Amino acid sequence: MWIAKAVTWGKSSIMELILFALCAILAFEADGFFSVDNLLNVLRNVSMQGIIAFGMTMVIISGEIDLSVGSAVAFAGCLTAYLTESLAATGLGLGASVALAMLGSLLMGFAVGALSGFIRVRFGVPSFITTLAWMTVLTGSAQLLTGGFPLMPFPEWYNFLGGGYLLGIPFPAIVFALVFLLTHFLMGYTTWGRSIYAVGGNAEAARLSGIDVARVKVVVMAVVACLAALAGIMQSAEIMSGAATTAKGWELDVIAAVIIGGTSLMGGEGKIRGTLIGVVFLGILVNGMTLMNISEYWQHVVRGVLILSAVLVNRANQ
Amino acid sequence: MSETPFKLATRDLGKDYPGTVALDGVSVGFAPGEVHALIGKNGAGKSTLVKMLAGSVVPSRGQIFCDGLEVALSSPQDAFAQGIAIVYQELSLVPGLTVAENILLGRTPKKRGIIDWQATYAQAAGVLERMRVDIDVRARTGDLGVAKQQVVEIAKAMSLDPKVLMLDEPTSALARHETENLFRLVRGLAAEGVAIVYISHRLHELRHIADRVTVLRDGRHIDTVAMVETGVEQIVQMMFGEVVQRERPGDLLPGGTTVMEVQGLTCEGKFAEVDFSLYEGEVLGIAGMLGSGRTELLKALFGAEPADSGKVVLQGRSVDRPTPARMKALGLAFTPEDRKEEALVQAHSIRANMCMASMGQIASGGYITRKMEQAVVDEQVAKLQIKVASTEDAVSSLSGGNQQKVVVGNWLSTRPQVMLFDEPTRGIDVQAKQQLFQVMWDLSREGIATVFVSTELEELVEVCHRILIMREGWIVDEVRPETLTADELALRCMGEN
Repeated sequence: MWIAKAVTWGKSSIMELILFALCAILAFEADGFFSVDNLLNVLRNVSMQGIIAFGMTMVIISGEIDLSVGSAVAFAGCLTAYLTESLAATGLGLGASVALAMLGSLLMGFAVGALSGFIRVRFGVPSFITTLAWMTVLTGSAQLLTGGFPLMPFPEWYNFLGGGYLLGIPFPAIVFALVFLLTHFLMGYTTWGRSIYAVGGNAEAARLSGIDVARVKVVVMAVVACLAALAGIMQSAEIMSGAATTAKGWELDVIAAVIIGGTSLMGGEGKIRGTLIGVVFLGILVNGMTLMNISEYWQHVVRGVLILSAVLVNRANQ
Repeated sequence: MSETPFKLATRDLGKDYPGTVALDGVSVGFAPGEVHALIGKNGAGKSTLVKMLAGSVVPSRGQIFCDGLEVALSSPQDAFAQGIAIVYQELSLVPGLTVAENILLGRTPKKRGIIDWQATYAQAAGVLERMRVDIDVRARTGDLGVAKQQVVEIAKAMSLDPKVLMLDEPTSALARHETENLFRLVRGLAAEGVAIVYISHRLHELRHIADRVTVLRDGRHIDTVAMVETGVEQIVQMMFGEVVQRERPGDLLPGGTTVMEVQGLTCEGKFAEVDFSLYEGEVLGIAGMLGSGRTELLKALFGAEPADSGKVVLQGRSVDRPTPARMKALGLAFTPEDRKEEALVQAHSIRANMCMASMGQIASGGYITRKMEQAVVDEQVAKLQIKVASTEDAVSSLSGGNQQKVVVGNWLSTRPQVMLFDEPTRGIDVQAKQQLFQVMWDLSREGIATVFVSTELEELVEVCHRILIMREGWIVDEVRPETLTADELALRCMGEN
């Protein structure tokens, strides 16, 4: 009896077990892996992509995808820098300028995502295509805003948002934890979350059950883009500038983390908790390999192979 | 069997599917030159029989004879080899190709590996000429109307020079004059000695086309009769059988209050000028053949498909721009015809499916937990006697009847004022059907009104207070079930009264 129970538990927590095994191996093989400083460092490294990954989980569960999150990060950072500079030039205080610029970037992110969602539900254009278009539009716009050179208008304290510590914990990691709790609650304990699962599982059945499918899709697309903007602000705070070249390829890391976490690309299935595991798994893998002095080229190969293996394990488990 | 003149014949043919007998003991023969109609209600076993003759379903027992010799048809290729061709209801043409290419699909004549267009066009034109139809073989197939596409489909089958041609509901998409042309074509083919097997549910066509009729009911071969000696009424009787009618409880009387009023509701090409009132606690049936517009009407009532004009009045107020979400808020509930595609998320749990429409009622201020859901789900599972091992199992693991109960339970939890049921009994067992009727009656007792659409006319007669008859998008009649039988209702639905 207890064996059967253990097997069931093991099956449902397979990714946790693999993550645990990975940590155990690294604790022995990689010098300096198992220290508080290093683990906090891992957490800080994954937190910005992780924040987006939670939003991406909701998008993928709803049956959509967003390929523009990487460029949205770069764009939001540049926009924040650009707005700060412009507002400060009007004579507004630097603090107020930064605050308004951040708000502007978040709103911009929200609007871009909502527009993708609107185009999806109104004209039936797949989000894959719309966000692919956004990807180049946002990259180009970031470069237009900065003119090709990083903008550095930020005050000293701004760095806290990306590089600061609160009670010894990196600030981005705190935001990461908050976004996790919030999205976990939303997906597990609200009618909103239930609607997102239903829409991704069978949009027509959801519609005929009186769920506003269009609204669900528009909102999840807006939320992920808004979270990307939030990550973009924190990223610009970490490097203290708005640079168009940051966050290249993030969309793939983010989607990989979501998939490793067991979310189905077909929609309707997935868990925020799974994505948390996926994000941490990728972060620890990179960290461990770096500590073990494995060359970057090999790291790419190993990462790709492990992503595919994780998906196969999840598939076999279903 | 060898002395029979039949081109194709069966003896005691049967087919079992897990849990059900789809067809049993069918012995029938198809003679060259005859048009032999195969008729029966949904689920009577027509398509199972045809698929076995076409080689796409392997019989569980019995024999098939071609020219008096027993044959095994284990693939469509085997059937072709015996000269048996079939035209299915769904057209299988490639719209982007020419008529000639479609007729000779996969068999286009080639010269040195390249399509020989001249020969292709000539061959295709030859087939059409033999059928005495005038269609340009160079035309793009997608540009033709449905009727001509139907003819191309038949030409495709005829190009194989079959001895037996089976037509599955060939007229379902055709207008009246197109149907007449098709009949002429079919008669011509029969005159050349082809045995035609004609599957239809349109009784009134039979007189014009069929020489003999085989009636199936519940997978059994009821009889094969000559059309000239048989009236439509007799055939209807064979189709429906002696139906034991359960009485609707006598205490269920609709109240005087109107809960829903439909005024002049029209949707171009689907239904027109629909007017009716629905009273408190009333069970209102809508009877109509396939394509009569009943499903479209129900969807429009629920706001799932837009209507062009007219209005739906609920609680004394006309609903503008109805959507399913708004209609649900106004106390409407709707179980769609296509349970699998439109009502359930197959991969999700029974619990999740049972809370899909009703989560707003279950949650408090948007906050919802499994525990809150479980209480409601357990209540419905008990009330509707749903047989489940665990409500966390995927809904796809349930039988059709239990899946339907999940859909119904989901909507009951929304505490509706009006329930709209579209074909709720399709593919569910007898016991589940009776339970479903009990639900409608229980609702009626609580004052909740029901609109019940069904092709199973005897069900309507059994369950409803009042029945509207729909034909070609119009409500043509209103009847009381006490005044007529299911077969009389069937005749009215087909415009035969």
